This record gives sequence, structure tokens and C-alpha cells, in this order.
Amino acid sequence: MADIVGVNGQREEFKVVGKHNLPGKVSYALATGVAKFGADYVIPNMLHAKFLRSPYANAYVRSVDLSKAQALPGVVDIVTWEDEAIKALKPAMFGPVRPWLDNYADQEGIEVAVIVVAESEEICDEALRLLEIDWEILPHVVDIRKGKEDNAPIIRPEDKIFGGGMFSAPPAKPRQGNVTYAETVQGDVDTAMAEAENVLEYELMLPAFSSHLPNPPGSVAWWQPNPYLGEGQILHFEGAVQRREQIGMMHGMTPDRTVQEGIFQGGKYCDWGMRRSQEITPLLAKRTGRPVRCVNTREDTFDFLMNQRYMYMKIGFTNEGLITAIDDFSVADGGIEGSSSFGAANDQGYGPYYTMKCLNIRQWMEIVDSNRGKMYLSGQHCPFNWDSGTMAIYLVAEKLGKDPIDIAQLNLHGPDSQEDDRPVPSFEACLDAGRKLMNWNHHPAGMKKMPDGRYHGASFRYQICPRHAFSGYNCKLELRNGVVHMPTQGPVTGIFAVECNAMVVAEELGLTYDDVVVDFDYREPFTPVGGGSDGSTASAWAMKECANLLKKQILEWAIEDAENPPPAGFGGPPPGGPSPLKGYKPEDLDMIDGRVVLKNDHSVGLPLHQATNRHIIATYHGRPPAAIWSLGMGKMLDTMNTAYCEVAVDPDTGEVEVLRFGVVADPGKVLRPTSLESQIDQVMFFSQGCQLLEDFVYDERTGVRLNNNMIDYKKPTMLDVAPVERQFLETRAGNAAYGASGISHSLANTHMVVIAIHNAIGVWVDPPATPDKILKALGKA
Amino acid sequence: MFTQESTQATASKLIQAVPSALDEFRCPACSQVFATYDELRRHFDTVHPATIAPVTVALNLNGKNCEVLVEPHWTLKRTLQFRLGLTGAKHMCDKGVCGSCTVIVDGRAVLACTTLVLECEGKQIQTVEGIAADPKWKPLVDAYCKWDAMQCGYCTPGFLVSAKALLDKNPNPTEQECREALAGNICICGTYPRHSTAIVEAALKIAEGG
Repeated sequence: MADIVGVNGQREEFKVVGKHNLPGKVSYALATGVAKFGADYVIPNMLHAKFLRSPYANAYVRSVDLSKAQALPGVVDIVTWEDEAIKALKPAMFGPVRPWLDNYADQEGIEVAVIVVAESEEICDEALRLLEIDWEILPHVVDIRKGKEDNAPIIRPEDKIFGGGMFSAPPAKPRQGNVTYAETVQGDVDTAMAEAENVLEYELMLPAFSSHLPNPPGSVAWWQPNPYLGEGQILHFEGAVQRREQIGMMHGMTPDRTVQEGIFQGGKYCDWGMRRSQEITPLLAKRTGRPVRCVNTREDTFDFLMNQRYMYMKIGFTNEGLITAIDDFSVADGGIEGSSSFGAANDQGYGPYYTMKCLNIRQWMEIVDSNRGKMYLSGQHCPFNWDSGTMAIYLVAEKLGKDPIDIAQLNLHGPDSQEDDRPVPSFEACLDAGRKLMNWNHHPAGMKKMPDGRYHGASFRYQICPRHAFSGYNCKLELRNGVVHMPTQGPVTGIFAVECNAMVVAEELGLTYDDVVVDFDYREPFTPVGGGSDGSTASAWAMKECANLLKKQILEWAIEDAENPPPAGFGGPPPGGPSPLKGYKPEDLDMIDGRVVLKNDHSVGLPLHQATNRHIIATYHGRPPAAIWSLGMGKMLDTMNTAYCEVAVDPDTGEVEVLRFGVVADPGKVLRPTSLESQIDQVMFFSQGCQLLEDFVYDERTGVRLNNNMIDYKKPTMLDVAPVERQFLETRAGNAAYGASGISHSLANTHMVVIAIHNAIGVWVDPPATPDKILKALGKA
Repeated sequence: MFTQESTQATASKLIQAVPSALDEFRCPACSQVFATYDELRRHFDTVHPATIAPVTVALNLNGKNCEVLVEPHWTLKRTLQFRLGLTGAKHMCDKGVCGSCTVIVDGRAVLACTTLVLECEGKQIQTVEGIAADPKWKPLVDAYCKWDAMQCGYCTPGFLVSAKALLDKNPNPTEQECREALAGNICICGTYPRHSTAIVEAALKIAEGG
């Protein structure tokens, strides 16, 4: 592996990296509405498509009579699961594992059996109403605790989905009813628990909450001739950014015959699945010979970002507060078929306990098939973020009358291994700064009343800064007409990853941020997305290497052009006579402030565009050195972050006010502070939403989800969210550019607000902690 | 490259491209095209007698008079996207609760997803494209970009329109007044603290003459 300037580089002074308020390369397009997302495209002569969506939570379409719908004026095409073209479709990625579309609906509102194509969406709706459908309605499960009971209806006897997925354990015992079992064990939990000086038990409920992609998923596709590519048509579609090649392949097209020019992906929040509306339009456009648009409604777009989970915990610990045994039993929603198993058991290297010294840990999980909904991949609240460990630390502290930060320090293992007793420097530094930032002065639960009569509560949690060392990045930089270009397919997702890369290029080449021209081109291989914000730091490492390869060539050509200048009129010699670089060697030169200069005398040199006008291309493929975290799968620690929350709880109204969040984090090196701050705000607001407002509500009798709309499913508004006070430390200990780490989604949390509420009122309230639940917990309702 | 100048020019072109008069009348039920509205009406009466016929609506959009053919139940949001080529007002909730489709009608910020286009006849409509094309509002757009008052950017035009509507009424808002004015705009990405910073800075610059 190349490492031209080292993992952390030797750079101590930064002129571009770390600078605030550099506008994003596409920010003007976003702010002004010029940016087009998939749902925005309108093509002349365009048709519309809609899926039949199931009104039942669990049902088969046994037959369907299309005749009335087909006779409706404006209906152009109707496709069913029995069409050979539908049977031949395979999902692009993270899609259903059953046939791409069949006659089985395992969730209310899911696409099933029929697609209508018509002149308008209203005609589609009317045609769907005219279908005469013979439904076979099956029993359903939307309460997972009931779904695991012996007498529960078995909703998927043939399910072979769970158990083989990423980050999930193999089945621990044969599947029974709706339940798949998974278990991971480290050490001897029973003996350790029996020998523990103290034991406490607690329950933890994690509500499901919505991924809530802001831009409704959907696509528009059309086919057109391209004389440069010979016979046949090419596929042009919009609305599935970053999935051009996969969707082209679904429809038999090679990448060179598949066009998707859009770069604006919208919010993803680790929901990387494609919806059927993003995959089907090429087929429908081919069948009808016209452009076809298919876009989900908001009601169609309430998939899970985290599945519901009940956890029952038993903790053994010493009188000092050292946790010696963890018995973690949970019942989790397996969702509908094809749901991600991310977050299932086997997460001791990836989940809530990997930072702990405790050597005796058992995780037993019962994953219950349900008809509740689907999680597409990971979610902001992936295993990093379950707060079962944070809860344990808080409860141990409460029991012993100690400060949870002290208990956390006691239980966190050292940098090198689970047996390492040394403190993690990054963690210690975050705590020191955090205590000051928050004026941290822990009090026992229910013991601090504020002057206005409300109860004060505070909480704390810590986490590692995970980062991607798995993805490779294909980087390319060009010097063209004296200007540095960074070609990329994007996409634009909101993490400003392209900008981080451009800043690193500018830093390494002695340019300003504005000097680096980003060329968005869907055909370019480089994408900075390989993971979330942690992917931006990892890709920036690779781009830093590429920038230095370009720099080497620029300096070599600057000397070549100084020694052998092109004839006048063909690019040289520069105005003012022979190049001042004549007589030197490339290693004598540097690039500073937009000029190629002598290392030992910066006054001698030329502006970049005069130093050479060659067209120079540098490419680099690679990835950062493996992150220490990934080497140890969580048992090795370097960059850390800490988060804090203060609440006020009104005992008369049950209202919770989050007074402030605090974050002291060590991202290794801050690349782009403005967006790093925003990413941290985002996870804090996500966490506030899921702990105070958000949950899915089902009618248990029918299995129908009652609140898949933005009126009844509440997201925090500007007036709801708390201030976030942030402080960054830069230990340069990460594995990415200049020692940076990813950070943001490791700060997402499931219980930090709820723990603060407990600290205020002394009783547990399951999230979302709505006022009625608070009052009930206080015995007032 | 998307610069302030290029996006301002693009917004201007989009506004110019809005047709001032209809030159064809397409049947929404079968896509047959007619030269006059009367011919379309006759077609409806004979071929689609059970269907409500489309109507023409005269609008003043970003200072330009235009005419559109819509079905009577169409919203302003839908008309902007599917008839007038303006996609700055975004589809998110379709229930009037997220603010992503905010436009200004006769000086008031309204939600285009719950406003019938028929209600807008004779009224002054301003969309985000109209704001982007007007040099007076360059400081507001600049401030939004400088402060990253966006992440994925999907909801951002709605926020910008609400901010402009606020500044129309209150050229010197406090941060709290900004938050209150924008409380009807939902951002999933967590940009909330950045908007008031951007608006307050823009207000100062606008007061200084941009």
C-alpha cells in the first residue's frame, strides 16, 4: 500500500483543511431549488406508474381481474406478478429476496401483484380501485411479544432469511414458530453473575423509528437512441443516484449504455436500500415506449431506521462499580422478509459492550418475524448506538451513589485490548473537556429541583469514533489549462464528502479551496461515499495520496518546461523571459499559495498555470491503513467521543425540555468543521426525536399502521430541538487523512435523553417519553 | 459548477421558460392534443363525459403572467412542477406540515401542496426560483451557503422561501423570531441552528445595501 505522506502526514500547518464557512460545491444549487432530485424530473409525454399496495398486513392475492381497469380511459399498461418480464427481475441491491414482485403482501401498504401505468397518477389510482382482487387474508403479527408466544400464528414458516446476514450470529437453536434464536457468549456469565458482589436487572425498550428520507424515493426512465453507440437504445433514468450500473444491469444494460446524470441523492441516514419505485421504471418505459415516472408517496415512505427491540438486562458488578458479568436477553423485530439483520446478535465486536473490560458477556436474542415493516440496511442507530451499556453504567452509579463518568472510566478497557488497564488518552481528554463544558456535577436521581419547580436531570455517554477502512477509492485528479480538476460522480448526500476531498487536494497542492474545480460526472469512478461521514475521511486519505502523485508530476513538468520550454505561442516560454525554475530539480520545488516555488526561497517561482500548461492526470486507487478499531473489532480503542444531556422535567405536566446537549469529541483531525458540527447536530436531533416523539402505532386488530404520515408521526421542529454545545479535540489518532476519524453516527443514541429523565424524576420512562408516559410513571395518570 | 452567478442565471432561465400562453391543450385522460381549449372541451364532452374537464388558470408567477391548463383539483405545488417546470417547491409531506413546498402568495408564505392552483388566480406568486433570480436576495442565498444551512438540501428551498417571507415583514429579525418563523419547516438532517445565523447575517447585509 502506498503511503506517500504517511497516515497522519507530516503536515502541522493547515490553510484550507479545518476552515469554517467554505460553501459546498453544490450549495447554491440546493439553496435555490435548481438542484433536481429523482422526484422532480418531468419528461415530455411522460406516463405515471403506481403499485397496488396491500390493505392487509398479511395476505395473498390469489387472483386479480384486470378487465375493468384495463378498460379505463388513460390506462396504458398493467403488469402483474405473473408477467415473465416481472419474474425475470432481480433486485439491484438490498432488495427483497423473494421474487422482485409477487402475490404475497407481508406488510400493510407494501407493493404487491400489480403495477398500473397511465396518463396520470389519478388514473392509476382509479384503475387500482377497479381491480377485482381475490385476497386470502392471513393472520398477522405486529406485537412482537405476542408473536413469540406458542399459540401465535406462524406467519412465515418457510422463512430462511434470518441468520446469514451481515453482523448476525448463526442460529443458536432451531427456529421455532416465528422466532429465530441467536446467541453469542464470552466467558462464564453464570459463574461470574453468581460471584458478583452486586446484581441489578433492568429493562430497556427501543422503539422503531422511521428512516424518513426527505425526498420520496422514485424514478423516471426513458429509452433513446444514441448514434455513437450503434444499434439499439440506451437507458436514461433519474432517481437512483449511485445505483446507475446496478439498475442498468437489472434491465440488461451495460454501464456504457446506462445514463443517470443526477447527482442529488437527498438524505439517506444509512438507509441504503432501493425501493421498487426506483427500479421498475426502465421496464415500464420499454413496454410503453414512453417515459415513465413512479414515485412513492410520503405514506409509502415510512420504513424503519431501527427495528423495535425489548432488552432485559442483568448486570453483575463489584462494590467499586466494575461490571463483571452481563446477561443481555432481547426480543427484536425481525420485520418483513428481506429486512436487514444488522443489529442482531453477535455484536460484541460491534455493539454496546465492546469497550468494556467485562469478560463475561452473554447476548441472547430472539428475532421475531412480524408484519410491522422493513429496515433496509443499518440505520443511524446501528449497534454502536444501543445504550444498554450506557444504561448499565448509569444504574451502577446510581446504586453505588457514584458519578457515572467515574464508573465509565473504571469499566472502559485500555487502548490495546480488553485486558489493557491503561486509560485511553482520547477518552480522558474528552472527559476533562466535557466536565468543564457541562459544569458537570452529578446528582442522584430525583434530587435536584430547579427554581421553577421542575426537576433537573443529566446524563452522559461515550462511544468510539468508528471509521471505514474497508472501502477502496478510485481517485483521479487533473491539471488542465493550469487548473486542478477533481472529477467525481458525487453523489451529493449532505455529508459534504466531496468538499472534504477538495479541501485536502487544495491543502496538498498549495491552492485555495476555490481553486479546485469539482467536475461532477456520472461516468467517473470516484465517489467519496464508502460509509457515511467516516467514509469522507477515509476517501480523503486516498485523495491526499492522489494529490501528492499529481504534485510530483506537476513539479517534474515544471522543471521540464523550464529547461525545455515549448515554443512561443505553444505554451511557453512564460512572460518575462526564461523560467526562474530553470536549473533546479523537482525535489527543490514546492507548491505554495497557487505558485510553484523554490522550497528554500518562496519568492522564486511561477503561478501554477505558468509553471506548466501540460495536461497532467494522476490516479490513485486505495484505502487508508486499517483502522485500529477494525483490527480489534471493537476491542482496541483510540479516538473517542463523549456526549451529555441536561433536561428539565415538569412533574405537573409531564413535559420534558432538553436544556442542552454537549458533545466533546475527538475526530482525530477536523477536516470541514461546518459540516462536522451539522452532522453532530443531526444525530442529536435524531436522538431527541426518537426518545421524545417518534414511534410507530399499529392497530393490532387489523395490523394497519396508523401514523405513517407527518401529521401523526412527529419529527422535531426548530422550536423543539435543544442547543448543542460542541468541542473538538484533535489527537490525529485516526486512520484517515491527517489522522481524521469518522464520528457523527457514533453519537446517535437511544437512551441518553431517557437516562437524563430518570436522573430528574427517579423512574424509567420508555422512549418516546411523551408527557402522558411521564405522568403515568409519576403515578399521576 | 454551481456558483451564485450560474444558479441565479439558471433560475432566471427557468422563469423565462414558463410559457406565457398555452399553445396546445393536452387531454389529461388520453393525452390527445388540441389546438384550442374549445376543441378540448368538446373532446371531453364527447369522449370523457364522466370526467371533470381541465380548466385554464391565469397566474402571475415570479412577476410573469402565464396561463396553465390544469385539472380543477390540482395543487399549486403540482402545477409548478408538472406544468411550469419549476421544481424548487419540493414534495415531502403532501399534508401541509413540513414546509418543503413553501411559496409566497400575495406576500404570505403558503404551502403549495395544500393550496389549490385555482385559488391563486390573480395573485402574485413567488417561488424560490424568483428569489434566486432577484439580485436583492443574493445576500440571503450567500449566507445560506456560507453557513451550510443545508445538508442533503432537499428541504432547503422551502426554508429559504420562509426566510425571505420573514425578511419581507421584518427586515431585522432576532434569532428567536427566525426560529418562530421557520418552525413550520421540517429538516431531517439537523440544520436547524444554522438558519437563524444565516438569516440574521443576510438581514444585516441587505440593510447595508447587499
